[in-house]
Amino acid sequence: MKMAFRALALLLLAAAQPLSAHVGSPDVYYEGDAGPYHLFVTVRMPQVIPGVAEIQVRAESGDVQAIRIVPLRLTGPGSNLAPTPDLLEVSKDDPQFFTGTLWLMESGALQVRIMAEGAKGKGELSVPVASFAQRTLPMQKSLAGLLLLLMLLLTVGAISIAGAGAREASLEPGMTPGPANVRRSRIAMTVTVILVLGLLYVGKSWWGVEDTSYQRRVNFYKPPRAETTLENGNRLVIRAKGEDSRWTDRINMGRVLPDHNHLMHLFLIALPGMDRMWHLHPERLQEGAFAVDLPSMPAGPYQVFADIVDERGFPWTLVGTIELPQVEGKPLAGDDSSWSGAPLVTTQQGSNTSQLPDSARIVWERGSSPLKSNVAMDFKFRVEGKDGKPVEDMEPYMGMAGHAEFVRSDFTVFAHVHPSGSIPMASLELAQAGLMSDPSAMPAGMAMAGTAPSGPLPGVVAFPYGFPQPGDYRIFVQVKRAGQVETGVFDAQVE
Amino acid sequence: MANSLPLPQTISAQKVDRASAEALSIPWYVWCCMVSVLSSVIGIEWDIAWHKSIGRDSFWTPAHVLIYLSGILAGIACGYLILSTTFQKRSPLRDASVSMWGFRGPLGAFICAWGGVAMIASAPFDNWWHNSYGLDVKILSPPHVLLALGMTGIRFGTLVMAVAEMNRAQGLYRAKLERVLFFAAVFVMAMTVGIFQEDTNRVFMHGATFYMIIMFAAPIVISMVAWVSDNRWAATITVAMSTAVHLAFVWILPLVPAEPKLGPVYRQVTHLVPPDFPLLLIVPAVVFDLVRQRIGTWGQWKQAAALGAAFLLSFLAVQWPFADLLMSPASRNRIFETTNYPYAIPPTSPWVRNVFVPTEHSSAEFWVRMAMALGAAILMTRIGMAWGEWMRRIRR
Repeated sequence: MKMAFRALALLLLAAAQPLSAHVGSPDVYYEGDAGPYHLFVTVRMPQVIPGVAEIQVRAESGDVQAIRIVPLRLTGPGSNLAPTPDLLEVSKDDPQFFTGTLWLMESGALQVRIMAEGAKGKGELSVPVASFAQRTLPMQKSLAGLLLLLMLLLTVGAISIAGAGAREASLEPGMTPGPANVRRSRIAMTVTVILVLGLLYVGKSWWGVEDTSYQRRVNFYKPPRAETTLENGNRLVIRAKGEDSRWTDRINMGRVLPDHNHLMHLFLIALPGMDRMWHLHPERLQEGAFAVDLPSMPAGPYQVFADIVDERGFPWTLVGTIELPQVEGKPLAGDDSSWSGAPLVTTQQGSNTSQLPDSARIVWERGSSPLKSNVAMDFKFRVEGKDGKPVEDMEPYMGMAGHAEFVRSDFTVFAHVHPSGSIPMASLELAQAGLMSDPSAMPAGMAMAGTAPSGPLPGVVAFPYGFPQPGDYRIFVQVKRAGQVETGVFDAQVE
Repeated sequence: MANSLPLPQTISAQKVDRASAEALSIPWYVWCCMVSVLSSVIGIEWDIAWHKSIGRDSFWTPAHVLIYLSGILAGIACGYLILSTTFQKRSPLRDASVSMWGFRGPLGAFICAWGGVAMIASAPFDNWWHNSYGLDVKILSPPHVLLALGMTGIRFGTLVMAVAEMNRAQGLYRAKLERVLFFAAVFVMAMTVGIFQEDTNRVFMHGATFYMIIMFAAPIVISMVAWVSDNRWAATITVAMSTAVHLAFVWILPLVPAEPKLGPVYRQVTHLVPPDFPLLLIVPAVVFDLVRQRIGTWGQWKQAAALGAAFLLSFLAVQWPFADLLMSPASRNRIFETTNYPYAIPPTSPWVRNVFVPTEHSSAEFWVRMAMALGAAILMTRIGMAWGEWMRRIRR
């Protein structure tokens, strides 16, 4: 019975594969410094490419006077020449809130460069964005009706014009058409009917080809499948397979970039209630596959999410499911971590407190207002000891103050977020490299290699993010204290 | 009954003396259609240059306004002409009109009105296309083809209107109308050849597909105009005018400052990016006229075969070596403007690297396509001749 339930859960989850890449969370949230100005940036990505992105920027201080934005490629040609910047509009109600739109003309790894100007001078920052077409929009019935009507008018018009031309155009003025003219007119109309029908057929076929070609682009950017095999009882091998056949040719798994010191971040989450989670870091094999020696794990179905960043700075999340037997593995080491606890609460708002093993706890400062989708928020978590005071033993976990994973109950949303936002560090480092003119620009909470803070971090960590759609979510918050990775778990109902 | 109605102005003109016939001026509706054609010609070239150098920043760019103004102007002018011819019993054009759906008007007016409706219908279609498949940064897409069909309709309608008027006229008035014929034919050809400009870039000029496309697009209009006009140099005049207009765009557009508003930008652009240097169609047009003057007594298909073959061979003889010049540093100047790269063309593009792109993958495929180019040249010349013969007969 238990096995049947698991099989059903796997089947349902396979059917509920996310409809868009980066697992249902295409918008970009970012927090960082443009020179002397601390900015919170939201990029609402368009559904089609080329398309218009909406940009929202909130300045922490009130001394920012103007913000300009330009799109560039993240790397290579096109990353060093900028179009005329667009000026963001200042909100009438809130002088620290700026909004605007930006055309994104290409798919792939792009960046939005943000130039702030104010009382303290100028500053720049760059926000990497993963630009990809998410779907094809259907045609509204009213528009379809109008276009059908116009097509009929033009079709019948063309046939009638051909008939009128053949019947009367050659007649001397004043003459009336005879039977021969009428016969010629009928022939001309018949030929035109055939031509118009042929034209419409060619047009329809062409439209179909364009649609298929566009759909292939949409599929190309869908999350690749994580094809997993278990070897020797505990060695998990992961291979990526794109939705589109061109994916494997174009995305070189042998050249993915290290993202805070690891080429892949693998998350194994127990199905269906997310009552266990592992955050592991597989190594690359020679043929572009990845492998990791699993720790001891109970048998059961697991959801697989594996984050990588390709050589151009484009982030991909491999998605899959696996049915594991009981695994007898090695103990966790290095940056690997795990958590187990109660399953996701789907019927009510979860607790804002998550107990840690050593009697410390993580408190989510969520406020009292209901959580809403598509609203940029700062998810602030306080790590406090049993005395209720912020802990003093926090240290960087893979170069960051913390990591958070937002997972929707049906696994159609998965976002791996840092204090700087939803962008992988590897992409940010590429963007930073392009900002040579302003080395002071630095994302929030980021400790670059060699510049990690030597002392303890404050006991508070915040993540800029917005839920992409309503539903039940589980948030895994991971921090490192005194050499141990600890995970707090929070459940949220989003309207 | 029809004989009792007042004769149209142009018919009356035939009955008065030559001096008064020569004094007749081009009717207002032909002028309106010519302005509409000009509006779409400038609008389209400006719009393409705008997309290449600035990128789309809103629907209401001046270039877009000019394009759609063309459809509106032709639609309103020809709509009014049709309504006035239908409902005014004393309309001078009533006898020289065709009837359709209970309306009366010159055949060209119906074609222009159709073109106007097609152009306007393409706007919501194009807008939906952009919303669904993203803003297309290419010329050949279904809604753009509908727009092109509409513009071609207006140009063809103007041609038909002018020719019907010309066929009823004589003397200086006829000569004036023949100029309208050349004017309209130039821009019909600009449409049939221009729609394929993405496939006729210089990088394709050493492939047979390029010649096949041009043979489908150019000889039909050139032979049509040659068969309609009494002028023995009609093909040469038409292509010379077309080349002159094209060169004007090549040389004038770069004088206008412009910079990209969209990104990524692969190439810094400081002025409007002009179209490519015109194809050397003037040479096959001269050859066409010379051959035509010598084979007038031949059968129709024999003439088409000789003219089509002469057209293709002379075009090959000049365009193939000219492509080498366009690829060389010698052409990178204000005359040839071969550094007219749009801002969105990456440096890895064969266009920027000045390398030919093979369109056929074997010599057998090349020669099959060349044979198809020859077949197209002959067939399209013959169709153009038939089209021209029909045009010579139209009176309404």
